[in-house]
Amino acid sequence: MADCPSFRRHPLASSIDLVRWLPSSSTSPSGRLLAAAAHDPTSAPAASSIHLLPLSDPGSPLASLPLPSRATALRCSTAALAAATSSGSLHFLPSSFDSDAAVSVPGGAGFHVGPVRGLDCGGEEWVTAGEDGRVHVVGGAADGRVVARRVWDGKGMSGYEAARWASPVEFATGGAGCGVQWWDRRKGDAVVAQCNGIWGHGIVTGMVHSIDIHPSRKHICVVGGSSGTIFAWDLRWPQQPIPLSGVGLNRTAEPVCESEVWEVLFDTCTQSSDIISSASARILPVMMCSEDGILAVVEQDERPLELLAEACAINSFDIDPQNPSDVVCALEWESIGVLTRGRDAMAE
Amino acid sequence: MPGMPTDGVGAIVPFTGEPGQGAPPVRPIRHGVPPPIFRIYVSWSSGNLLQVACLRPPNSEGGGGTEEVVGSVVEVNLGDGGSEAEEKIDEAEMRRIEYGSVPAFALLQSRKNTLADAATMSHLPSVPDHAEWWQYVLEYSKTIGNLLGNPDPPVFMIEDPKTILKVREKPTSLRAAWELLEIFYVDKHLQGWLPERLVDWLADFDSLLSTMASTVYSKLSNFQKKLINLQIVEDDPDYWNGLSAALSVGWLDIVVNMLRFHGSYQLDQMDNRETENGLVEAVAVLVSTMPRLRPNLPSGKLGQCCKTRPDFIKAWEKWRGQVTKLECSAFWIQCGHQKTRDGLKNLLHIMMGNINELTDATYHWLELFASHFLYIKPFTVGFEGMHHLAQKCIQLKPSSSTNGLTGLILGVLSENTEVVLAECTKNFGPWLVTHAMELLTADNDYADVMLHEERPNLGGISIEELHRLVYAQVLCSHSLTWQIAPTYLSSCLNQGLGLLEILLLKQPIQDNCLVLKTLEICRLYELENVSTIIMKIAGIYHWKHGRKGTGVYWFQQAHDKICLDRIAQQLFEHIGKSVTDDSFKQWEGLLELLGSDIGSAGGLEFLHRYRDFKRSLQQALDRRCGEAARQTVDFLIQLMKNPSTPQRFWLPLLHDSVELLNSKLCPLMNVAETTLLLNKLQELSMAKLRPDFSSNHLPSHAISSVRLALASNLARAILGDP
Repeated sequence: MADCPSFRRHPLASSIDLVRWLPSSSTSPSGRLLAAAAHDPTSAPAASSIHLLPLSDPGSPLASLPLPSRATALRCSTAALAAATSSGSLHFLPSSFDSDAAVSVPGGAGFHVGPVRGLDCGGEEWVTAGEDGRVHVVGGAADGRVVARRVWDGKGMSGYEAARWASPVEFATGGAGCGVQWWDRRKGDAVVAQCNGIWGHGIVTGMVHSIDIHPSRKHICVVGGSSGTIFAWDLRWPQQPIPLSGVGLNRTAEPVCESEVWEVLFDTCTQSSDIISSASARILPVMMCSEDGILAVVEQDERPLELLAEACAINSFDIDPQNPSDVVCALEWESIGVLTRGRDAMAE
Repeated sequence: MPGMPTDGVGAIVPFTGEPGQGAPPVRPIRHGVPPPIFRIYVSWSSGNLLQVACLRPPNSEGGGGTEEVVGSVVEVNLGDGGSEAEEKIDEAEMRRIEYGSVPAFALLQSRKNTLADAATMSHLPSVPDHAEWWQYVLEYSKTIGNLLGNPDPPVFMIEDPKTILKVREKPTSLRAAWELLEIFYVDKHLQGWLPERLVDWLADFDSLLSTMASTVYSKLSNFQKKLINLQIVEDDPDYWNGLSAALSVGWLDIVVNMLRFHGSYQLDQMDNRETENGLVEAVAVLVSTMPRLRPNLPSGKLGQCCKTRPDFIKAWEKWRGQVTKLECSAFWIQCGHQKTRDGLKNLLHIMMGNINELTDATYHWLELFASHFLYIKPFTVGFEGMHHLAQKCIQLKPSSSTNGLTGLILGVLSENTEVVLAECTKNFGPWLVTHAMELLTADNDYADVMLHEERPNLGGISIEELHRLVYAQVLCSHSLTWQIAPTYLSSCLNQGLGLLEILLLKQPIQDNCLVLKTLEICRLYELENVSTIIMKIAGIYHWKHGRKGTGVYWFQQAHDKICLDRIAQQLFEHIGKSVTDDSFKQWEGLLELLGSDIGSAGGLEFLHRYRDFKRSLQQALDRRCGEAARQTVDFLIQLMKNPSTPQRFWLPLLHDSVELLNSKLCPLMNVAETTLLLNKLQELSMAKLRPDFSSNHLPSHAISSVRLALASNLARAILGDP
């Protein structure tokens, strides 16, 4: 339990599944804000909600949005905070955080049936991808309502666990066994490229949990999934995914973790060790969190830099877009942790 | 247990069966099933949850209303049944303690195993290891103690000078019990200063001794409230009572602070009070220089520390001399204020160890007990002497209600591990018992044997294991804490692993993420067979709920060939009907899922090849190029050769390719290949006569048209052969 000196845990009295930084605005008097998806099975019936927490005192939420079921995805844009649930619904909370102004798309036959784990905001529109194999693009209509348009119905033949926009017309999805798909809306909302991924250890296939695409390199996806697997997929060489970490991949001698990689994000704070090559084909540093409690920065052909090794799972994390040295993570044991990386860590 | 519901509103009435309990508690449930209710099933779910299923009679009138609810299952939480304990730790806080104690417990267990391994390797008596061991236990104890709350007040705090008792976190009896066990069982190098440690412990937790009867703490806090409205404190008897009470239990800083409230310190005195003030100050100085047999004092506490016994005796005699001298001083006659004179003399008598004054000044027997250590028997050592003293104090100050902490202290002093364990179990719950077991056995051979001995009356497990299993059950019954139960179950050698398997198999499989969390625990404890079963269950669940892709994924992970084959049969049924249809496209995603390494897909291997064949055939017919046609024929031959291709697909496959075969002038297959296909066709014609042959929806002339196409191809192939 070697604590980083700038790491603080804040116990909360319910399970925290997901956590995100909210874009800070000058209007909020309480400083920086966090959004956290909480689930409390102790109350009957089990209660799920999205809490807005001030960073200064995460124990006392400023506002809450009740959800019909457990949150499975949480993203925020400058205009709204969106949460998808395990019952297939999607909820938007405008950035004024007035829970009366919240709008939602109910789950069911018309939208998603079952958990929606893929959710991302691409400027005007949101993409949702569910375990039921459906993919929707959700946008605002003129009269303030939200309208969901079905892009694809896989009829359960494949289930999606992650979704990420690359550009306003392209997005990537990933799921159980089906690897990563690249969708292009200009080509009739179809899959234009497909990658089955790299899973070591004799595992034929694995589950994709998270995808991230760097805004300045829109042709590269970094993917995190089961058995500690992290790989990058470059659309220019779609047949050759680049392994970053994983069990039994002979290129990386020491996997950063052996369990599920729940989330991956490009780490904008850590400078690539080789400045010159960072402009070339190298994959930028990637931060990951895992079921066995690891928060680490992984780089191609480098030893992973472990930031945290917790006794419990880290289910979710987020890097503050405005202040990338700050990381917030949701810990399995009903708490959130805030990690502030010092200048020393950044210089390395 | 099926039963008929009571008439009316459908409430569950638990029957306690004990007479004199009054009306049984009634708990209404909302099941949303319209009457009449036909059957009710009640069964225990995990923990306090009761599952109640309410069913309507089957095929009740109005069969058309398919939307009508025919039954529902509701969960009823029977917990939170009005606990009477006042200072109960709330559930979330208790869960925080439970989570926090896991790493410390796991670390201690792994150290224990390492030491045990080292001992068996070297075959040496582990004497030096023993010294090391209690250090580990002490570290463990401190870690857990910190989780339970820190009784020290925050360092920088502006305090009102008139504050008697420092504002701080409210102590919990859980922490008090933990600290008591640490003092008596673990902390070896402070053993010589045990009496002073008990005095410190009492200072921290005096408020917990009794909620109804008065204690020194309650007296002082009452006086604190009164103090704001007091003009002349020294006229108030509570002031002097409070002073003597605080002094008797050794709260010297509080005594000195309170003495300074004395009116004689005020500058605007009307009458001459210098002598009086001098006496008050003299007592204050004596109080603050009292010798204490202890290595050090926390900041803010008063007294002079003496580390060794001779030092202490020397300082004690000198100090006692000063106290006696002041008591006999002539200045008392000049002190005009009667109450001050009596009060100060009383304080001096307490310092001189006068048993009557001490008995009057204290309230609880434990307070009297502590005052004995301070003023009468500073050298009390050994449990026997202490226990004897405690019995004497109880006789002097009998307390009506027994508190968990006092019971614990008496158990410790009587050196009776069974009583200590029973008191812990009764008053502080399974968490404390499980974790405190390590403290009890740290340096106590009797306890070690008693707790680790395997007992036939407990089913062959030891008391330690029994309590761990009980605690693990408590953890398992809550959906947030079940994940830490494996740590405790895995430390139980006899029955832990079996229960761990049951626990893992009981976890919900609806959510993929939760399944992965369960599988991770299986991986950590190397329970491959359990994880395979879980994956199969998850696969069947997802398959049944229409998420075929996820279902197949789990079956693949479980290497479940049987289920995959069965799924393949189901898919064949589906494809068999729409084989010429273009709706095949919707299976694309599933086939993609099967991946390139189709060997793992069982019977689904066929589908993958079939997809390739169909795609290729389409291309060949569209483009009419020789290359595509040749490839299609390759796929066809592969399919026909492969034993996993079901027989009922042979004819459709051949029929699909008739158009292709007929469209070319040159032969697409050589003689051997054509002969193979003709043989298959022959086999099919024979099979057609068998009763179990499944016919397909092809026209009756299908066989003959295939035969004709093959024959013409064979003819061309023979002619073309050199």
